[in-house]
Amino acid sequence: MPLYQIQNLTFFYPESEKASLDKIQLNIEEGEFILVAGESGSGKSSLARVLAGLLPDFYGGRFGGKVYFKGQDIRKMDRRQLAGEVGMVFQDPEKQLVMTGLETEIAFGLENLGFSQQEMFRRVSEVIGFLDLTALKQKDVANLSGGQKQKIALASVLAMQPSVLILDEPTSQLDPVAAEELLNLIKRLNEELGFTVVLIEQRLERCFHLADRVIMMERGKVVKDAQPEQVARWAAMKGISIIPPVAKLFSRLGFYSVPITIKEGRKQLKKLFQVKSASAETNLPQGEKQCSERVLGQGTLLEVKKLWYAYDDGGEALRDINITIRQGEFIVILGENGAGKSTLLKSLVGLLQPGRGKVIFNHKDCRVAYLSQNPNDYLFQDTVEDELRFTLKNFKIRDEQIVNQLLEKLQLSVNRQVNPRDLSSGERQRVALASIMVTKPEFLVLDEPTRGLDYRLKDELANFLINQTMQGVSVVMVTHDIEFAAKYASRVIMMFDGRIVSNGKTCETFAGSIYYSTQMGKLFRGYCPGILTVQQAYEKIQPLMQERKTYQTSAERGI
Amino acid sequence: MTDWLMYKEKGLFLQSFHPAASLFYLGTLFVLALCFNNPLYQVGLLLVLLLAIWSVDGLMVWEKYLKLSLFIAIPIVLINSLMGQNGKTIIWLGPQVPVVGQLTISMEAIYYSASMCIRLIEIISVFCLFNRMVHPDKAVSFFARFTGKTALVINMSMRLFPIMVREFERIKTVQRMRGVDFNKGTFLERMKNYSSVVSILLLSSLENSLEMAESMQARGFGSGPRSSYARNLLRPRDFICIFSCGLGLGIGLWGLAHDYGTYTFYPLIGYLISSNASMVVLLLVLLCLSMPVMLSWGGQHCLFIKSKI
Repeated sequence: MPLYQIQNLTFFYPESEKASLDKIQLNIEEGEFILVAGESGSGKSSLARVLAGLLPDFYGGRFGGKVYFKGQDIRKMDRRQLAGEVGMVFQDPEKQLVMTGLETEIAFGLENLGFSQQEMFRRVSEVIGFLDLTALKQKDVANLSGGQKQKIALASVLAMQPSVLILDEPTSQLDPVAAEELLNLIKRLNEELGFTVVLIEQRLERCFHLADRVIMMERGKVVKDAQPEQVARWAAMKGISIIPPVAKLFSRLGFYSVPITIKEGRKQLKKLFQVKSASAETNLPQGEKQCSERVLGQGTLLEVKKLWYAYDDGGEALRDINITIRQGEFIVILGENGAGKSTLLKSLVGLLQPGRGKVIFNHKDCRVAYLSQNPNDYLFQDTVEDELRFTLKNFKIRDEQIVNQLLEKLQLSVNRQVNPRDLSSGERQRVALASIMVTKPEFLVLDEPTRGLDYRLKDELANFLINQTMQGVSVVMVTHDIEFAAKYASRVIMMFDGRIVSNGKTCETFAGSIYYSTQMGKLFRGYCPGILTVQQAYEKIQPLMQERKTYQTSAERGI
Repeated sequence: MTDWLMYKEKGLFLQSFHPAASLFYLGTLFVLALCFNNPLYQVGLLLVLLLAIWSVDGLMVWEKYLKLSLFIAIPIVLINSLMGQNGKTIIWLGPQVPVVGQLTISMEAIYYSASMCIRLIEIISVFCLFNRMVHPDKAVSFFARFTGKTALVINMSMRLFPIMVREFERIKTVQRMRGVDFNKGTFLERMKNYSSVVSILLLSSLENSLEMAESMQARGFGSGPRSSYARNLLRPRDFICIFSCGLGLGIGLWGLAHDYGTYTFYPLIGYLISSNASMVVLLLVLLCLSMPVMLSWGGQHCLFIKSKI
């Protein structure tokens, strides 16, 4: 008997006429690792909430069909029993932690289930040991990093010893290192402890290979339910961009067996290059050419000279920063958490006064716009258009046309009379962006705008930003998304411990790094340095494929 | 910005006390601070408090509390000195003020105001010590046995307060970049500017509270009666602390009942030391209340004491 049996599941949120889940048929076996993927608004999170018994109990709404958990109708199950069997970890660790200390947070779920003191002591200590959290015992939860907080959220769920672990985009708010660590931990829980895992994710390059099955969702429907390799091939055929770059490349090249990890991909490449070396001589693909193809800025917009910044406690956040930003440049700043990226951004826009050094713009009154990490920090007006007018009013600008233009460009025209808080996260971000773009800035600074966005939304954001750079706007953004940086940035700055450790053209920066590189960069390391994107890789490999075909045909004919 | 208001676990001896012992100690200091009005007793109590705050590495933070206390205390001293009409030793005769009468400053009123000021500093110092000494989770889990849901709400508020302060600052930054100037304009205009920040903060907090509630429900909150997690060990140090503080409180209250620790301000100030017994009572109280600090010192510097308590 399957662990979950879902029959004809349909769900409408209150006051919604659109089904969030539409006639879903699905079985989940015990011990499986299921990855649920799909664009924003495809119904992934709603499905997760149904599996955890939160829909419709918590939100209300109309519910149709049946969901059985271990043969029992989930809607008729005792809530305490279900909470003990199914654990759920949410996106934002900040919004799921309740207590101030590590132990009490882990014990929170156990207290809710009425466990005895002795049992709680045992489980809390076991989980702390298993997840190696002892070092955090003395620390205040509020001051921990996002990755550490998410680990505590997971620990709190694990202490309840559920049989199913549901994770709703648990890495969306984390930096790559913390995300990797968390995903490896989840895999361990599945493989070593036998947890059934249902993982909802947008950043598939890190977790696609971990799953036993991938479920693709679209407009509330399950459109594909198969093994990762099969889903990769299917998605490539359908032109769905959500699959990881390695799978995307090999599917596009027409390989029957589609690799989903770098290791498998490199094996395939090795075969290809062996054939190549045995065949006719052609020039090896040289990635260096990519650098010259990038559009770089023209005149200087601003110069940062010997910039230092120290916090109140004396810790140095920025140390001897020297950069020049040209007009029309698209610069991405990368680095681990605490490297000083956000502090640098704030110093550039004048929100922080440097202890030493200068930020010199090429002219006075340079219009600067700043988009913070959280778009909700901008939204409080009754309608989307009022949100834009609020900024215009503050700057005493009378330009109704710019409101219409921006709403059009950012595909918000249909929502202009809607309350911004009623929009999706992607739309909210576009409203926040529009609200700062009304001043027609010459310098646009964005702090982790790709966080939590799916592939399509990222592409849309990138297109908007590139369009701005073509009009001479200089864009500087902080992100942890290396794939995004490689695809769109003209220059990449890498920071570590308050200092700039690398500052150069995108391909040069990534070509010199193993760890800070894209999937394509890692795949082609040692074969063709400089390749960073699927498009670049395709353009280089496609001729080789032709060659291989010719060589094989010749060999068969004995020529 | 508000970090100094938060508890910081430093593994210090006084932080290792059972919450019952810590709360009894702080409660004793609080009650005696309210009861004693003899300036000598008050200064003695303040010294004990300072020693305890020093033991929890909190003197730097106490300075901030002191500034806050003085901010409140100075107006109290000024108003009380001007308005107190019961003193006989007049040192300044002021003008006639309608309703109030003639303003005067007497020596007794200044003494009384100074005594009030010390009491205020003592009470705020007790809160400072509480913040540095007792882990909020420990305190809440101690009370959770009696008032589970209230304790949980208090704990959540304590967790969310610094987060909201941080969010407030972040939103203010964002609004500044959108052209809102918080430093210009009339008081009303500034308030209006701040209202946008507060609106965003409230809207976001409401949304966040829904997500937090969902996470709590997913972990079984509200599914039935809760148990309480408390991993507080009772050690000899806790018994010694409770015993010595109980003794100190008893002697102090006995002293008050026999007029030791009280003081006459009006119409003429009395003697600080009315008798030898008064000094003996004071020294005994201070000795008893200093016991946790002595234990802390002993625990830090003597392995034998540490292993025994």
